[in-house]
Amino acid sequence: MSIPVASWHQSQSNMAPAYSSVDPRTTFSRPPPHISTSTPSRTATQTSTNTEAPPPRKVVWPPPVRDYVQRSFAPEAKIHGIEYSDLEKKLKQVITEAAEADRLHEVDWATLPLPQQMIQQERAMWNPQFTDQVEDPARTPPSFKKRKFDDPNDSQSPLGRKAKNNNFEDRITYASPSQANRMDKRSKKEKSKYHADKFPDHIAKRIERFGVVTPDYNNTSGANSNDNQVMRGPVAGTCRSLEKNYFRLTSAPKPEDVRPQEVLEQTLELLKRRWKAEGNYTYICDQFKSLRQDLTVQHIKNRFTVDVYELHARIALEKGDMGEYNQCQTQLRALYSLGLGGHPAEFLAYRILYLIHTCNRTGLNDVLAEITAEERKEPAVLHALATRSALALGNYYAFFQLYLNVPNMGAYLMDMFVGRERLAALANICKAYKTSVPLNFIVNQLGFDSSQEAYEFMVAIGVDKAGAFLEECALDPAKGMAVIKSARDAAFKKIDIKGQI
Amino acid sequence: MEVVLGLFKRGMIEQNGHMVADALTPIAPPRDTGRLYAFYRASSAFSIQADLRHEIVYSSDIHLNKAESNAWIDVFVAYWKAVGALLATEEATNQGKAQDAEWGKAYEQWKEMVNALIRGYTTNVFPPWTLPCLYTAGKYLRNLAIKADEQTRKSTGNVTYNEGFQDDVVSSIGKNDSLQDAARQINRIFSLCISDRAPLEESRKWGVYYISNLLFKIYFKLNSISLCKNILRSLQVSQSDMPPFEGFPKSHQVTFRYYAGVIHFLDEDYKTAEDYLTKALTACHRTAHKNQELILTYLIPCRLLTASQLPTPTVLAQFPHLEALFTPLITAMKQGNLAAFDAALVAGEPAFIKRRIYLTLERGRDMVLRNLLRKVFIAGGFEPVKEGAADASRVRRTRIPVKEFWAAVRLSSGPVAGEHLEVDEVECMLANLIYKGFIKGYISREFGKVVLSKNNQAFPGTGV
Repeated sequence: MSIPVASWHQSQSNMAPAYSSVDPRTTFSRPPPHISTSTPSRTATQTSTNTEAPPPRKVVWPPPVRDYVQRSFAPEAKIHGIEYSDLEKKLKQVITEAAEADRLHEVDWATLPLPQQMIQQERAMWNPQFTDQVEDPARTPPSFKKRKFDDPNDSQSPLGRKAKNNNFEDRITYASPSQANRMDKRSKKEKSKYHADKFPDHIAKRIERFGVVTPDYNNTSGANSNDNQVMRGPVAGTCRSLEKNYFRLTSAPKPEDVRPQEVLEQTLELLKRRWKAEGNYTYICDQFKSLRQDLTVQHIKNRFTVDVYELHARIALEKGDMGEYNQCQTQLRALYSLGLGGHPAEFLAYRILYLIHTCNRTGLNDVLAEITAEERKEPAVLHALATRSALALGNYYAFFQLYLNVPNMGAYLMDMFVGRERLAALANICKAYKTSVPLNFIVNQLGFDSSQEAYEFMVAIGVDKAGAFLEECALDPAKGMAVIKSARDAAFKKIDIKGQI
Repeated sequence: MEVVLGLFKRGMIEQNGHMVADALTPIAPPRDTGRLYAFYRASSAFSIQADLRHEIVYSSDIHLNKAESNAWIDVFVAYWKAVGALLATEEATNQGKAQDAEWGKAYEQWKEMVNALIRGYTTNVFPPWTLPCLYTAGKYLRNLAIKADEQTRKSTGNVTYNEGFQDDVVSSIGKNDSLQDAARQINRIFSLCISDRAPLEESRKWGVYYISNLLFKIYFKLNSISLCKNILRSLQVSQSDMPPFEGFPKSHQVTFRYYAGVIHFLDEDYKTAEDYLTKALTACHRTAHKNQELILTYLIPCRLLTASQLPTPTVLAQFPHLEALFTPLITAMKQGNLAAFDAALVAGEPAFIKRRIYLTLERGRDMVLRNLLRKVFIAGGFEPVKEGAADASRVRRTRIPVKEFWAAVRLSSGPVAGEHLEVDEVECMLANLIYKGFIKGYISREFGKVVLSKNNQAFPGTGV
């Protein structure tokens, strides 16, 4: 726990300057040290491999080969856990083999797997040793990630204008693939600039640093690659601790803060136990959110993902946390569409009930359009549909009968709107019955557990103050009408769709 | 080249916006199917700019000022590129390589052209009578976006996953990226039109309803009806300095009223909806059968709820689709046959849901129930006439045991549903009908009876 917590806090403190991260550029006072080593040196090496390699062998490399080499070293092609030296070795091997067989022009370089991909295939199993967990904290200084490209530009090139762009764009959270692509393209542009403008500079830098940095190379480039994982492959987590506080990411996570699936599975078991034992929802919700985040950044989409979301949805339901519940539900909907198993019918029923709760007619129409004939046969779905139609027709008798027999955890959802429906029904009753309405009849019609409960329900909205209780345990509709109606109108008004606690 | 620019030039000279717009169509007219191809082949990416400059500036008699001719050249350069992308896409489709057809690319190129047009208007170099260009541009932007999205869905599935560092796996369901983008572009055109401060006779405000309708269409397709309300709201706000609604082309009026009606319909504001839809129907061209049918699809359920009125068989007979859709329901309502109504609703469910009228029609069950109970009331006969009084003064029996209604509802619900029907549930249905005003009277618990209003008021609007 100790290491991740430390780095977590650190990254947390990183977040604060994120807003003002534009400023340091203008002051020039930000210590440039290690940051600039990461990108430039890599690019420098890359260019050097391109250009230095040819002379001794006196071979003119055809453009596809050059392109292949470039792509191999492109930061976005970086696969985490594959060391630079391995990559270089593999690349050399591939090219040399082709050159020796005189097949340089025959090999289809555009479709040939990159050396790192070859290495990845060769390694049957992912080996955690490849990421060094003992990271020198000084190597990841604040705002490191945000300044991937602009640092070199900043301090030593006339590309300040570009850097400004970078800085601004880097602060955008990339959500859609198209944006990511744009980012991608831009990074390519940047790279070609390095080639064009800064070539000697980088060589010098590389010579200066190469020997020193090499042992740490994987570390820096590893961190660097994280940035690119924003657009590319998933993070492979290395964190071993079971618990982790949720913190909203504003940049790519570090692998050492992310737990791989086998750890997360244990986490889930732990959370189940703790939920049963302690029932501390704040803690549980926080843990589940970090769990979900870890699943997401590692692109884990399987039955386990479904289990996590289902469990979190159920717990959120139990605590009436509609906001969190709704998030899980949306995710589950998409996960079910992948056919990963789980309990689609149960959650379809919840979704219908949830839409009733939020009075979302458009949503209901969409659900009705989606339901398949098979799903219609499921008891939970049947129940939810019957509930919907009972309410649509104002058949409160049928509605409260359904309320008394809810499958699964639907009762938690129905609890959310049963109050307002009771008020609506009471308002109906007040209008339709002129003379006294016995309390036990109301208990029966509105699905109360006891006449005591019904009595308290009505007292809470001020029926007693309106003098609408008759002596013989009955309601005077004429006198109760006004308070009940206003209580009903108020109840229907305040449906907060987000329902966040 | 000559054909397209010929149209443009003649349009410019005659100040005919539709002709200019016709020069910018992405679909070759049937009488000249090779038009686009010829236009594209007449130039190259290298020379298109110069070619167009030659045609528009040097060898023409339209005498545009420099800014305007440059803006048109930009538009036509973008158009030329878009045509290129379109032809490539079409070619791929025709060769049976539909998966290679790049509708996305065609969409992007077309968007470039739309942007060039918008630029021309924002800088106020294009005269407002060329508005039809914006119509054409917007219309096909939507079509291309839909095609591009269809293709994306086909090739990559329906769910977008987060690639970045979001908290959850899925970022969106249902891929409509292009169409959403198109909506944004057309929204720009909308503000371009509505915020024009030029005097009314030469204002872009005249384009506002056409563009609104286009946006409505997109939002309906995207299933985000709530966004339509923003449009309605901004139209409402600027109502005071808009040209009179009746002054707009009839086609704009009818489409707008149709959509406004449907939006209110979905909002359960049936009164306003009825108003819009009725006006749309009266103004609708009498040969526009399809449009009348669309309007009636919503107007019929609307009238059912606002006025408890059903269409006559003569009206329905003109629209076979609607007749097939509604007749089973209507028959069941008239007969007060609950079982038949429920069956008809189930049978028509997919069609009703698709048109978003299911939830409204469902409420027609109240009508069935009312008609059924009315029958019970009538079958109940009259109170015994007092001796010596005339037959004409006799009154109906107005105190009816709840059990009688219960028996009727059970009978009408059919053997399966009726079997388990409790008397309490029927009492609840009665309470509902009274609450909604279908029945006048009250329930008396002590006597287990419904006391109905006298003087032919028990079932308002039905004569008894």
